[in-house]
Formats: sequence, C-alpha cells, structure tokens
Amino acid sequence: MKLDSAPLGISGISQTEIELQPKDSTDFNSTPAIALPLQPVVADSPQKQQSALIVFGTTFVTIFLAEIGDKTQLSTLLMSAESHSPWVVFIGSAAALITTSLLGVLLGSWIAGRLSPKTVEKSAGVMLLVISLMLFWDIFTSH
Amino acid sequence: MDWHLLGLSFITVFLSELGDKSQLAAIALSGRSNSPRAVFFGAAGALLLTSLLGALAGGAVAELLPTRLLKAIAAVGFAILAARLLLFNNEPSADSEQTP
Repeated sequence: MKLDSAPLGISGISQTEIELQPKDSTDFNSTPAIALPLQPVVADSPQKQQSALIVFGTTFVTIFLAEIGDKTQLSTLLMSAESHSPWVVFIGSAAALITTSLLGVLLGSWIAGRLSPKTVEKSAGVMLLVISLMLFWDIFTSH
Repeated sequence: MDWHLLGLSFITVFLSELGDKSQLAAIALSGRSNSPRAVFFGAAGALLLTSLLGALAGGAVAELLPTRLLKAIAAVGFAILAARLLLFNNEPSADSEQTP
C-alpha cells in the first residue's frame, strides 16, 4: 500500500511524512515509502553524465579521425605555411569550426524537436551511413 | 594581429566546413542524443585539434600520420553508429527517449 502511494508526487509524500511523524517510530514502513521516489533521481544523474561522456567521446574520436588530412586541415596548413603566422590562421579557422559545429548541433536539436524520435533515429542513421560512405569514397579516390 | 589573414582563414574554413561531413555528423548525433552539449564540445574539440595540428605541423601531418587508415577507422566508426541506429533500433538504448 505504501509502495503504491509512492509515485504520487513529492507533495503527497511529504504529507504522509508529516502525518506519520507524531506516531510511534514503530511504523518503519514509512522509510521505504520516502526513500523510493528519491532512488531514481539519485540513480539517474550519474548514468546521464556517463552517457554524455560517451557521446562526447564518440563524437570527438570519430570527427577527429575523419577530419585528419581533410580539405579543411589542408587549407589551414597551406594558409599557415604561406603566411608564416600559424596562430592567426589557427584562431580564424578555430572560430569558423566552432561556429559550424554550433550551427550543426543547433540545427540537429531543432529538427529533432519537430520530428518523432523514431524518425529522428532513422534519419540520423541514414546520415551517419552517408558520412561513412563519403569517407570511404575519400579513401578510394585519394591515391 | 593580421585581420585580413584572420578573416580570410575564417571565411575559407567556414565555407569549406559548411555542409561537410563533420557538420552533418554534428546534426545527426545531436538529433538522436539527449545531450547536444556533449556533441557540440566533442565536435568542436576534435575540429580544433585537427586545425591546431594543421596550423602548427604544416605539411608534416600527412606524412607523419597514416591519414587513410585513420579515415578508414572513422568510416567504420560512423558505419557502426549508423547500424546501431538503423538495425538495433528496437533495443532500448541508454540515450533514447522513448524507453518506457
């Protein structure tokens, strides 16, 4: 009975807690009823953090490996070699890269907000497949 | 500070990256993930590192690193991510929102 009443909400729980307090401490059933709704909140936070870390790691590694030796990097190194001021070229290209990734992420979240999760997963999968094919194409066309 | 060079490098890189694979990857990954911030930091960090390597090492990057092999690894990685989304979609993954 106490377990059933647990997910009603914080206000309901605090009410039962207040009601139970004047009673004797023999009513130990109240402790799990209070502890239960807290459990998912506590368990959710590290899991979400870990998943964010995984997302960060996958994104970083795949994009880093894909962009090594890509045309952007080649144009950056050409410009820095021609101008003899690599830091200015780096700052300029860094600003551009931050802007394009920010635009990409904002666009992605914006699109994801207007489609169903199923459609988002499908189209994201197709896009990643296309990227993979583009990379393979790069590998086989560059000798 | 050479503002002309700064603007030139910004515009060159911006135009060459617009709609390129890393931006497409950022769109795809942020769309299916609950933490677009992590995708942004991952993508921006990776791009900054490649551009830092490009600016500092100059032409040595292509000779020092097996770029084709690295690209192949990245291609396989993207293919795995795509396959996970397209084929194993029924499994409730850790970062999918429609898990009951």
